Amino acid sequence: MKKSATLVVAGLLAVTFPIWAGDQYQLHLAALIAVFWVLIGGLNLVVGYTGQLSIGHVGLLAVSAYTFSILAGTQGLHPAIATAAAGALCGLFGLLLGLPSLRLPGFYFAMATMAVALIVGEFIMANDGLTGGGIGLAAPTFPTPFDSPAGFYYLVLALAALVTWLTWNVARRMWGRGLVAIRDQPVTAQAVGVPVFRAKLKVFVFSGVTAGVAGAVFASLQSYITPDTFVFELSLFFFVCIIIGGRGSIVGPLIGTVILTALPELVAPLAKLGNFFYGLLLLAVVLLVPEGIGRVFEVISERLRPRHIASVPVSPDLPRLARALGARR
Amino acid sequence: MWSVLVSGLATGALFAATALVYNVMFSTSKVLSITTGHLAMLGGVFGAFFITGLGLPWIVGLVGAVAVGAAFGWLTDVLAIRRVLARSDEHLWLLSTLALATMVQQAVGLWWGTEPRPFPRLIPQDFSAGITDQKFWLPIGVAIVMALGLELFYRRTMYGKLFLAMSEDAFAARARGVPTDRIRSLSYVIAGAMGALAGFAAGQLTFAYFALGLTLTLNGFIALAVGGLGSNLGALIGGAALGLLNAYSSYFVGGEFQQTISVGLLMLVLLLKPEGLLGSRSTRPV
Repeated sequence: MKKSATLVVAGLLAVTFPIWAGDQYQLHLAALIAVFWVLIGGLNLVVGYTGQLSIGHVGLLAVSAYTFSILAGTQGLHPAIATAAAGALCGLFGLLLGLPSLRLPGFYFAMATMAVALIVGEFIMANDGLTGGGIGLAAPTFPTPFDSPAGFYYLVLALAALVTWLTWNVARRMWGRGLVAIRDQPVTAQAVGVPVFRAKLKVFVFSGVTAGVAGAVFASLQSYITPDTFVFELSLFFFVCIIIGGRGSIVGPLIGTVILTALPELVAPLAKLGNFFYGLLLLAVVLLVPEGIGRVFEVISERLRPRHIASVPVSPDLPRLARALGARR
Repeated sequence: MWSVLVSGLATGALFAATALVYNVMFSTSKVLSITTGHLAMLGGVFGAFFITGLGLPWIVGLVGAVAVGAAFGWLTDVLAIRRVLARSDEHLWLLSTLALATMVQQAVGLWWGTEPRPFPRLIPQDFSAGITDQKFWLPIGVAIVMALGLELFYRRTMYGKLFLAMSEDAFAARARGVPTDRIRSLSYVIAGAMGALAGFAAGQLTFAYFALGLTLTLNGFIALAVGGLGSNLGALIGGAALGLLNAYSSYFVGGEFQQTISVGLLMLVLLLKPEGLLGSRSTRPV
């Protein structure tokens, strides 16, 4: 009951944000959070639930941002079609990337995804006829209802809500349980009939599609993209959001995304430290609360209101046992 | 053509040295640390800082850079490995070393600057030396000396044998009275010193550049996976193969696709021979 009330209040705050937002920049920031969440929500299923440490999702983001800019800008397609095409392309890219790399054990997979992030950067620089090289590309805005900051905010908010709903549906059913089983005990999961590789691959392709959609709206939000936008550190940022929020949860990474996106903008000294701060935060969380920040609140609330565990003494029913033993003999 | 061969071998030697550093840390802790490449980066940056920045003689700069690397290796063990290994969750060390690697890279970037800076000449030599230039031969020599030194260390010294014992079975070693925590710390210090030495020797090739670490972590790992995890000879072969492939592909195809070709090599080896050229097949799912 309390949970759904919080959810409704948070939803209302998000929907009415353009009305009470202080200035355009705050609205831009809120839209950026929503865009990042579209990607992180999909990535959360891969990292948080399935435990596959993909640290190269910025590569997918770059592929779709450039796809969107080329299709909608240079080729003049409708932005909605370009977004769908970018999502589909990144899903395909995720499939091609996942087919070999998801068979690899943890560190190998992380290295393969990191390599993809570097490779995509190389390709963007190499094919400067298509991508503009180091100069970059202009990305078009969406048509009329969505071309104002508030309209665009509602568009990305709807996308973010959709992704949240989809991941929540996956996470709470049998699928999600299977994914958690793959994360915690892959051998046992296989033994009880979870299709380990296929489940990993499907989730990875899904995260590719969300990264594709996120990249398209990201390009439109930034309105101009260069290779410098898609540095490896951005990938680390996505990753840190999920780990800090806590693995195996949707609300935790969502809060992590909101706080980590907004914090460097609101506290100026942190912006200077930038990625050093993210590294420090990641190290602190891994060492102190590997379950994520959400665990801290649980521990505190349990301290404040200890749960009473009723003790039910069990006494053996000896006459019945004797009867049973007697009957067998 | 000779210059392509020699420069390929030189970068390959740096990759091989990084792979050796991976091996040293892996032998005692079964951890593949993301900070491996950053050790070499620290060696290069601090070497340039001590020699050019402070005007010290190069031998003092070498000792200083190696000391910084060793200190960072020790710090890696204390901060990112010790507490995490006790928890026995296999992904946590990946996260903690990634965090530490990011921190050291950003700290060096803030302090040293994000532009590559030149590394001083160590031995007086004319710049027109061509393929006999020291910037090629120093990393190659250091990588070979390091591999030979490791073999001697493993075969001839007590501590080397303890390393081998821990790499076979850490629990059994502990049961036989080996102070496994101290040995692991020692292995990280040695790895830090080796990484910094490699970065120092290759400094004239790579320049003192803060973002070298991540590339080297990836390429050293590819060399290691190609050669076979845990094998020092394999690390040398894998590094040389990767360096030559990089050099010849950028000579014939162009420099834009270096990472792509390296990762292509990795994927090919993993598909054909997952344990690497000289690695041992030891996976046991249950």
